[in-house]
Amino acid sequence: MSQLSEEERKKILESAPIGTWALMLTVSISMVIGWLFLYYGVFLPRGMIN
Amino acid sequence: MHIDPLEKKWAQIVLAICALFVVIIMTDALFHSVNAPSNVETIDSAKLHLSEEFAEDNLGTQIDADGNITVRMVAGRYSFFPKKISVPAETKLTFRWVSIDVLHGVHIPMTNMSTMIVPGFVAQIETSFPKPGEYPVLCNEYCGLGHDHMWSKIDVVEKDQWIAPQLSSRGVENNE
Repeated sequence: MSQLSEEERKKILESAPIGTWALMLTVSISMVIGWLFLYYGVFLPRGMIN
Repeated sequence: MHIDPLEKKWAQIVLAICALFVVIIMTDALFHSVNAPSNVETIDSAKLHLSEEFAEDNLGTQIDADGNITVRMVAGRYSFFPKKISVPAETKLTFRWVSIDVLHGVHIPMTNMSTMIVPGFVAQIETSFPKPGEYPVLCNEYCGLGHDHMWSKIDVVEKDQWIAPQLSSRGVENNE
């Protein structure tokens, strides 16, 4: 059972979703870094196909 | 249609990331002339054994007078022929692949070797093996019920320990 007052609950719901933003940025940056590592660090050094 | 603002932001970020990846790949492809691994060279798959280049005696590793190493392999349900070959590590190798029957693929882990082998065409690809060891050669295009058993091995030895095979009397001296 939530112990929050109606006022506190409203404040939380109306404030910026910082946690979600942090999660979005973390996932996005990790994915880009991972992809760049695989592309430039693993894939390309094995040799171009031409 | 109502889309939640956060969901919109997510979609924008995902699209931006995809666009970034596509731009990087396209730029590299354009500036480094990356193409599909085929020089659009045709061959009669039904007469490979009669052909000069892919006759049984000429399969495997061959070294020409200039020291260029060419490996000729035939893919057929359900193996790659020859079953086992030996090549030097850290050396540029030109692989020429043909199929004797249906569409196959070839993948050698830890290298850039990944190509389709289309019946009627020669797939040519240059590669090198980073270190000595036994590398598996795997078919990565479904080719029939025995597809998952279709593999062979490449024995990669130290560059200075590799012994070049003798040219066969019918050896191919010029494959152009």
